[in-house]
Amino acid sequence: MSSPSSWIRNLTPITESLLAGVVGLVIGAFIMLAFGYNPLAAYRSLFVGSVGSVYSWAELFANATPLILTALTFAIAMRGGLFNIGAEGQLYMGALAAVSVSLLHLPAPFNWIVAILAAMVAGMIWSLPVALLKLGRGVHEVISTIMFNWIAHFFAFYLIANVLTDPQRGERTIAVSESARLTRVFPDATLSSGLFISLVTVGVIFFLLWRTSTGFEIRSVGYNPHASHYAGISIRKQVLRVFLIGGAIAGLAGAIVVMGRPPYYAVLSGLPQLVNLGFDGIGVAMIGRNHPIGIVFAAIFFGGLMTGGRIMQFDPGVPFELVRVIQGVIILALAIPELRRLFFLARERLAGRK
Amino acid sequence: MLVFGDDVVSKMRRNEVNKWFFRMVGLVATLFMLAGGPFMASASAAGKIALVLDVGGRGDLSFNDMGFKGSDEAVANLGVEVVEIQSNSAADYLPNMQNAARSGQFDLIVAVGFLIADAMAEVAGQFPDQKFAIIDVTWLGKPNLMEIGYEENKGSAIVGALSAMVAAHYGYDKIGAVLGIEIPVLYKFEAGYRYGMHWGNAKYAEETGKASDVGLLWTYTGTFSDIAKGKAATEAMLAQGAGVIYNVAGPLGIGDLEAITEHLEAKGKSAGPPFMIGVDANQDYLGDGHRVLASMMKRVDFGVYSAIESVVNGTFEGGVQILGPHNGGIAMSGEQDLADFIQFGVNGGAIGASDRQAIIQNWTGMREDIPAWIWEAVAELQAQISDGTAEVPCGWCPDTIKEIRAKYPD
Repeated sequence: MSSPSSWIRNLTPITESLLAGVVGLVIGAFIMLAFGYNPLAAYRSLFVGSVGSVYSWAELFANATPLILTALTFAIAMRGGLFNIGAEGQLYMGALAAVSVSLLHLPAPFNWIVAILAAMVAGMIWSLPVALLKLGRGVHEVISTIMFNWIAHFFAFYLIANVLTDPQRGERTIAVSESARLTRVFPDATLSSGLFISLVTVGVIFFLLWRTSTGFEIRSVGYNPHASHYAGISIRKQVLRVFLIGGAIAGLAGAIVVMGRPPYYAVLSGLPQLVNLGFDGIGVAMIGRNHPIGIVFAAIFFGGLMTGGRIMQFDPGVPFELVRVIQGVIILALAIPELRRLFFLARERLAGRK
Repeated sequence: MLVFGDDVVSKMRRNEVNKWFFRMVGLVATLFMLAGGPFMASASAAGKIALVLDVGGRGDLSFNDMGFKGSDEAVANLGVEVVEIQSNSAADYLPNMQNAARSGQFDLIVAVGFLIADAMAEVAGQFPDQKFAIIDVTWLGKPNLMEIGYEENKGSAIVGALSAMVAAHYGYDKIGAVLGIEIPVLYKFEAGYRYGMHWGNAKYAEETGKASDVGLLWTYTGTFSDIAKGKAATEAMLAQGAGVIYNVAGPLGIGDLEAITEHLEAKGKSAGPPFMIGVDANQDYLGDGHRVLASMMKRVDFGVYSAIESVVNGTFEGGVQILGPHNGGIAMSGEQDLADFIQFGVNGGAIGASDRQAIIQNWTGMREDIPAWIWEAVAELQAQISDGTAEVPCGWCPDTIKEIRAKYPD
């Protein structure tokens, strides 16, 4: 008979994720019990609050929309063997670029197209130095993306308070002009047509990675840079590609939030509608196994946790801080299978190098 | 695809494991669905209130802590049940209020802070039968929404009079105002402070028989976040002989106070003058309790409490409610406020419990050093403002600030 660890190893990825999710839910239930809250009532409101009505589904997708994109940024780099955690800063830059386009007062069809393009370019620009530092000086992308995230953070604060400030409201930027806003899909929910832009991007990235030679080169470098180099693939070119594509997608995420998330359509001081979307994207990518299709489902799951978490606060009365803890536990449990895989991959690579 | 498995076990065995697993998942899911039971509808007699906050939670030593103080008092005195709904992101403001309204279980939904204004405008229209209240917002105009605004100009007049008299008492001939971005709402603070300074000068002359012409230095720093600009503006004012600095830019007060502290340290002193005047929340506990003379407090707690009270009493109505010195919604900080805020600070870990006594002692000493007639004069102005004999200019005055500047000059 096989040992208990071997049956875990033989599960399909989907079963593995479900098992991890159940483990997360059970741990979360014990935490809630420890603090004196009824876990069954809490999970019921989490469930009903996220998938119980058309409205909650719309909110779920609204939450998932930017996460799909920031997760793609991480995933495409991961496919190319790089650890890009710069989506956060690129997202800020994208959002601010999209807002600043409204200063140009372009006519209707152009303004939103230009805003989206500007956001993508801004994300690429913010990503470029990271790639150049890696290529030129061998700076590890984890270090440089963390640094660039903080530069973006404070640069955004500066722009909000000094350059793009709404003349009547000091705490926010000017708003995206009305004709450039993404249409709301349901009249009262916050879901916008940005979801379709996200899904189209998923399709494009899927096609790119598995149906083009560019994608083949990226993935090939991710599997084995030495063999790829030997086969004549330029590793430097892949680094540049991965960061620029990733930056454009993260910038797009910023634009979609600021252009499609009612009721503000402006970047608020302290970036409260943007903060953590980039980092959450890493979690989404992990749970989605760094695969575009997997990411869509993981983002839906994340969006559900966010949407249902709101309800957990007032039905069973679980305090917000504890809701965050439960969400964190579930996400961590779900990310473990992929983390484990990455760990073994890294170990194999190190062993191979010796 | 790499991730989707490259194992050696036969497909059959895998299917078996998966089948067993899915059965378990189904079982657990069914259990959850059955056991959840009905929503916990615990309608207490006095009512159920939702308190919706922006992204800062408890422990901000300012706006949110004040809001919680109001709801805590409502729970204690009125017997209502309050559910706090915090927001993880600005994207949550709208859905959080929609969810609360849709649940139909709340007698009142209170939003704390003008950041939620745009979301409130939408939700109040969408749920016309739900009662709402919002603090620090006065421009939405919905029949089911109580908007609670503050007369910051009147509060500023009170601290302006105090500033002028204290500055004259200590031999300074200037007071200063460090303001944020030049937006209409800040004109209310400037206008009131000007009025108060002129009132204080006249009062000082009347009481002491000595002419007093304390003048105003004022700067719009163009920021609500760049603390260094607050410090630089304050340094410039201190160099020109300002004895009291009014912080009208939220966090810039930290910079203002830093400049004052360094100014005093250079003379080997710790206690003012020069002093700072705090804004919005109580900031008296800063500066060891003896460099912040007083704070112009917007009583958010009072606003939240009175909104809840109106629902409990059945007197709730939509429209703008103005809180000012006449009803205690705007007040100069006192001893109880200091104690409350030190407690917030101790709870949040910002103030060590051991510093509590020292701060209170320093603060009491600072206020006792100022002659009693000045405090009486401040109370007199407050009474005059409340009964309308003292007319402080301007509720919301982008058009008239030039006239006010001419009438109550620097």
